[in-house]
Amino acid sequence: MNNLILGRYLPGDSWVHRLDARTKFILSMLFIFVIFLANNVYGYLLAAVFVMISILMTGLGFKVFFDGLKPLAMLMLITTFLQLFFIDTGQVLAQWWIFTVTTDGVVNSIIVFVRFMLIIMFTTILTLTTPPLEVADAMEALMQPLRKIGVPVAELALMVSIALRFVPTLMDEAQTIMNAQRARGVAFNEGGLIKRAKSYVPLLIPLFVNAIKRAIELGDAMEARGYRDGEQRTKFRALKFTQRDTVAAVAFVIFTVALFATRYI
Amino acid sequence: MDMAIVFKEVGFTYQAGTPFATPALHDVNFTIPEHSFTAVIGHTGSGKSTMVQQLDGLILPTTGSIEMAGTTITADTKKKQLNQMRRHVGMVFQFPESQLFEQSVLADVKFGPKNYGLSDAEAINAAKAALELVHIAPDLYDASPFDLSGGQMRRVAIAGVLAMEPEVLILDEPTAGLDPVGQNELMQLFADLHQARNMTVVLITHQMEYVGQYADNVLVFDGGTVVKTGTPEEIFADSQWLRDHQLDVPAATQFADALEAKGMPIEPALDLDQLADEIAPLIGGGAHE
Repeated sequence: MNNLILGRYLPGDSWVHRLDARTKFILSMLFIFVIFLANNVYGYLLAAVFVMISILMTGLGFKVFFDGLKPLAMLMLITTFLQLFFIDTGQVLAQWWIFTVTTDGVVNSIIVFVRFMLIIMFTTILTLTTPPLEVADAMEALMQPLRKIGVPVAELALMVSIALRFVPTLMDEAQTIMNAQRARGVAFNEGGLIKRAKSYVPLLIPLFVNAIKRAIELGDAMEARGYRDGEQRTKFRALKFTQRDTVAAVAFVIFTVALFATRYI
Repeated sequence: MDMAIVFKEVGFTYQAGTPFATPALHDVNFTIPEHSFTAVIGHTGSGKSTMVQQLDGLILPTTGSIEMAGTTITADTKKKQLNQMRRHVGMVFQFPESQLFEQSVLADVKFGPKNYGLSDAEAINAAKAALELVHIAPDLYDASPFDLSGGQMRRVAIAGVLAMEPEVLILDEPTAGLDPVGQNELMQLFADLHQARNMTVVLITHQMEYVGQYADNVLVFDGGTVVKTGTPEEIFADSQWLRDHQLDVPAATQFADALEAKGMPIEPALDLDQLADEIAPLIGGGAHE
């Protein structure tokens, strides 16, 4: 259960770690759109270099980023194969039943694969270098304009923060309960599908019972300390833009312009 | 079958081979003799709980080997073998009431025995016997375990472990969070099981009073390894050494030590009864009951 790299924060003190969460969040989102500007090999080369430099600046090493790709490998392969088989323009290279592999298909699937990989690696920078709670804060800050149309932004953000806060707690608890039931002779992950599903009942029921109990206790504790919703409140972790964020934004703009320029090479 | 437990050069690292690798145990060597009542003491984070999970094969040692119930456990031991070994070991975790999940008390208690292949009738018999041991009245057998009081839930959960009739009973701070009466009742129950059923009991605790009162063998953990083993008398003889390891001696021993320091002819005592027996003649009283 501890193998979940996607969405896992790795503490550090690099330049990227110290960027404001909002900057990282916006740039990650923008990257997903900007990457579509690339339409030839130079564009993808430039984007790859940009991603590589960004990763180097996190000081975490490439390995964790490649590990982060693994859970999505299946999705990447399926998308790539769909491109390979279902594009039928260009020169035919091979044919079998309803499947046709063409030159355009090959080129396109390579493009899709590379684009996918770059997007995942770049957005992984956000999740690996930013504590989840800061990501939630950044989302709250960026959703502020929605308050005007009556969206309860602060409450939504609080829900997200609480949910994130309890992920490790619940994982620990799941582990403890699993151990206790294993000691009572439950064999998890053994036997057929139905037997497997059944073996999780003794894990899930106590887990839900405890989670609900905990939620009630937390609600009581918050009310006892005077929490009311809909209030404008200040934050313990205030987000602050610094010079670093300006530098990052400028670098990203330069990258975007350069990527646009590669279209005309 | 020989139910002694032997740890040989056991080491364990959490998430070995990842950036999160955390060493928890190293060079652990000890023997828990059959039918002993062994107390495991050590301050928080000293490796006690990790060691106890290895006793039940829930985690495998990264290095070294563990021998128990005719099985040798190493880093490469297969799951099937572990299941075989677990039948002999009853494990009561911290706050065991969080393992309750069935619709009735009886159904929850018979869950363990049924998993180990008993028929429904046999499992119910084992469950009823176990519930009687922990003093749960028959009119509660059909109640939902979630409607019970905290102390009752704890006892039902412990019955769920006892119903499997283990030869080794492992208790990880079983009395945490109970009131003093409940704590004493529970400890008395474990002492009786040790006596009457000849169980090997391994007790992890922070309460030195229980160590002095019930244990006949003590393992002291510090910094992920065993730093001292011996009888309670031997362990509590050096209170300064224990304090250096962020532990303490029972109140009775402290009292006896203080009297001795004042020049009273008194032997070190391990519990209140023993202390009273020693003091009574000194002040001219009769033997206490």
